[in-house]
Amino acid sequence: MNADRTLAWDWYPGKIPKNAAVDETAYVETTFSFYFFRSRLPRGVDIGRGASTYLGTMFDVGTQGRVKVGEFALVHGARIICDSEIVIGDYALISWNVVLMDVYRVPFDATKRRQELTLIPTRQPRLAAADVPARPIHIGRNVWIGFDSCVLPGVTIGEGSVVGARSVVAEDVPPYTVVAGNPARVIRQLTP
Amino acid sequence: MKDPAPSVAPPPNVRVGPNTLITGDLAFKRFHSKDPLALVIGANGTMDGVHFALGEQGRVVIGDYCYFTNAVLLCELELRIGNYVVIGWNATLADSDFHPLAPAERIADAIACSPLGKGKPRPDIPKLPVVIDDDVWIGPNATILKGVRIGAGAWVEAGSLVTRDVPPRARVLGNPAQVIGEVP
Repeated sequence: MNADRTLAWDWYPGKIPKNAAVDETAYVETTFSFYFFRSRLPRGVDIGRGASTYLGTMFDVGTQGRVKVGEFALVHGARIICDSEIVIGDYALISWNVVLMDVYRVPFDATKRRQELTLIPTRQPRLAAADVPARPIHIGRNVWIGFDSCVLPGVTIGEGSVVGARSVVAEDVPPYTVVAGNPARVIRQLTP
Repeated sequence: MKDPAPSVAPPPNVRVGPNTLITGDLAFKRFHSKDPLALVIGANGTMDGVHFALGEQGRVVIGDYCYFTNAVLLCELELRIGNYVVIGWNATLADSDFHPLAPAERIADAIACSPLGKGKPRPDIPKLPVVIDDDVWIGPNATILKGVRIGAGAWVEAGSLVTRDVPPRARVLGNPAQVIGEVP
């Protein structure tokens, strides 16, 4: 990262946000990943030693959101929708078009949802900002998530587990377990 | 952070309501409809990075206050979307199978679609309208296939593949999508 928080190799004319702690050995392919980043916490994003985030990764992080990308984690192109906390463990491998969402962003109640959708076009930028509950996502160390998968709010994926491509993970996954399918089911166990 | 610049001006057979924002360079890249009023979008909509991929006869109607993020709308016949509908990132709606099922017909279609197929007629392909009623929420990476009607207020979880009608206010999940309860 340059002194002005730009990236020498970046195609997008952006900067790493001041409240994003990016380790000097980490690789962020483009600051476009922070286009939707609006966390106001002192450390809204933490990207650890040797971690990398590639094109397609979007930190869609609300004002009270916090994302942690662990050491040597490889995030190839995840849509990270975060209003509370999303932790990606050390050595985790996250494939392309993966959705990690800790919040639905709009209320379940249709009347309240209409109120929010009525407000969105009055905002700049046009983003949802409803006060809806968010439930943290914890992705353990050494977890591998296949492409096009979704991880729903509140899910914890245990250390060493594997999520097959195009899975939707709606419930917790124990450690060292292979899950796949939509909704994801246990396929087999791995030896730690 | 500001809203990205609006995309190129919509084609002439598109009607966009007041205060509706369309962004993204790819919005009309695959817009081929020749219908005199191929696409109607209501007022106060946000169409952020949406792909309006309409075939020659495709017609799409979208209501007021809809909020779509990078949705892919594949339309050869008709998509009818109500008011206050939310469609999440990378979700796809398709009203056609795009190719026939029978093997011999598929060979004929492959030839008709090829660079050598100029002028050859394509076989009949199943198409059925997709109807999304008011107040529906469709999550990111979800897919809605032809002939499906999603009832008012239904909630389609992220990554679902919807092949059958969804009752009003139902919450569905899975591939194929199954009802897992009512919207809480």
